Amino acid sequence: MSSDAALMERLVERDETALAALYDRYGGMLSSVLYRILRDTQAAEEILQDIFHQLWRTSARFDPNRGSLPGWLMVIARNRAISRLRQRRPEAGEQLVENTIILPCSVESDAAQQELLGRVKGALDGLPKEQRVALEMAYFEGFTHSEIASRTGDPLGTVKTRLRSAVETLRRKLGEQSAHG
Amino acid sequence: MNGHPTREEDFDLYALGALDGDEKQAIESHLAACSECARKLAAAKGRMALLAFAAPRVEPSPGVKERLMRQLHSTAEGRAYSPARIEPESMGGGFFGRWWAAVLAPAAVALALATIFLWIQNNRLHDEDQRLQSALRTQQNQIDELRHIADVIQAHDTVSVLLKPMPGMGQGTAQVLYNSGMGELVYDGWISPPPPEKSYQLWMVPMDGNPISVGVFNPVTADSSTWMAKMPQGVTAKAFAVTLEPAGGMPHPTGPQVLVGPAT
Repeated sequence: MSSDAALMERLVERDETALAALYDRYGGMLSSVLYRILRDTQAAEEILQDIFHQLWRTSARFDPNRGSLPGWLMVIARNRAISRLRQRRPEAGEQLVENTIILPCSVESDAAQQELLGRVKGALDGLPKEQRVALEMAYFEGFTHSEIASRTGDPLGTVKTRLRSAVETLRRKLGEQSAHG
Repeated sequence: MNGHPTREEDFDLYALGALDGDEKQAIESHLAACSECARKLAAAKGRMALLAFAAPRVEPSPGVKERLMRQLHSTAEGRAYSPARIEPESMGGGFFGRWWAAVLAPAAVALALATIFLWIQNNRLHDEDQRLQSALRTQQNQIDELRHIADVIQAHDTVSVLLKPMPGMGQGTAQVLYNSGMGELVYDGWISPPPPEKSYQLWMVPMDGNPISVGVFNPVTADSSTWMAKMPQGVTAKAFAVTLEPAGGMPHPTGPQVLVGPAT
């Protein structure tokens, strides 16, 4: 199996099979998060196509030493979907070269993605329900502390504490598991 | 914020987009000047990106990849645009220099205004072009989807299953057309919109084993809707069911059955 870095080198040389391989590798993962945010197959698939077309157009600017390709793909997918959901323009920092993201583990193989899926779900399942709901509202709906508080009717301080505890637990659990994994 | 963020979670909360107001501004102003914290933020962005894996798996339709590969051929490769450099000509001095300057200065202003006007027009045309291309892509997607649906419906080994409402679970009805060999399914039905924070989820119940999630959907009206989904190839269904689940769906059915239909 070719690494992401090797496929990106081929992409720079305009090798379409490299783009197809990256699509096969990450298309399902991105489609899932896009659909989860938008609940609209057509909109999700439009964005999915646009992201890979952007990757094709701007691949020469990618530096694997600066950050992770799947990390960038996941961040841009979420940003685009939330922007579409909120009917606003995508935020700055979408360029491959601008966005430095370090994933704590590799997700290049199907097996690694499956394993990570279990680990993330395990970490989320371990959270108290209120913390999990707040975290999902922030990640999948793009809400800030204040927006979550106004939607749930919970005091702002309570929402902040819940989210802080949730990310702290997530950081500890995924960090520990990555160290062992 | 002059110093580093005091707690590690601040990076995660910023990466998550949960901070707003002064908290967000403080961390942004610090990050701009601190490479150590920028590195921590890169790691936090990676951790938060992993939350994508909490989304139920939804495979894109095969048409997306086909359209993407077609798009590579239909889009011109980027060409470096290097406008020709215009060197100012010598104006000469004295009376003639001033005379030329008097004539050329208003002309230069007019040229600048014309350039700005053309630039605005160009941007407008570019936006319009983008909008039309997007509309074209949407229509192409719809045509591909309809062709795909027709393929499944017309296949001789496609099985039709009627899903009826369970008592006390409101109104609705649906028909599922599935083709085990193609691994494709068409859902066509109507059902009342789900309550807040809930989604409907369609399950295939195989002859052996646990129900398999086929799709999560959230109708906003009780109008009829038709959509396609992938299902495992070569698996024969015993029944199909629509359940009411927490928003976004679940890995296994947990909520009440709303529509049910035996496949045999």
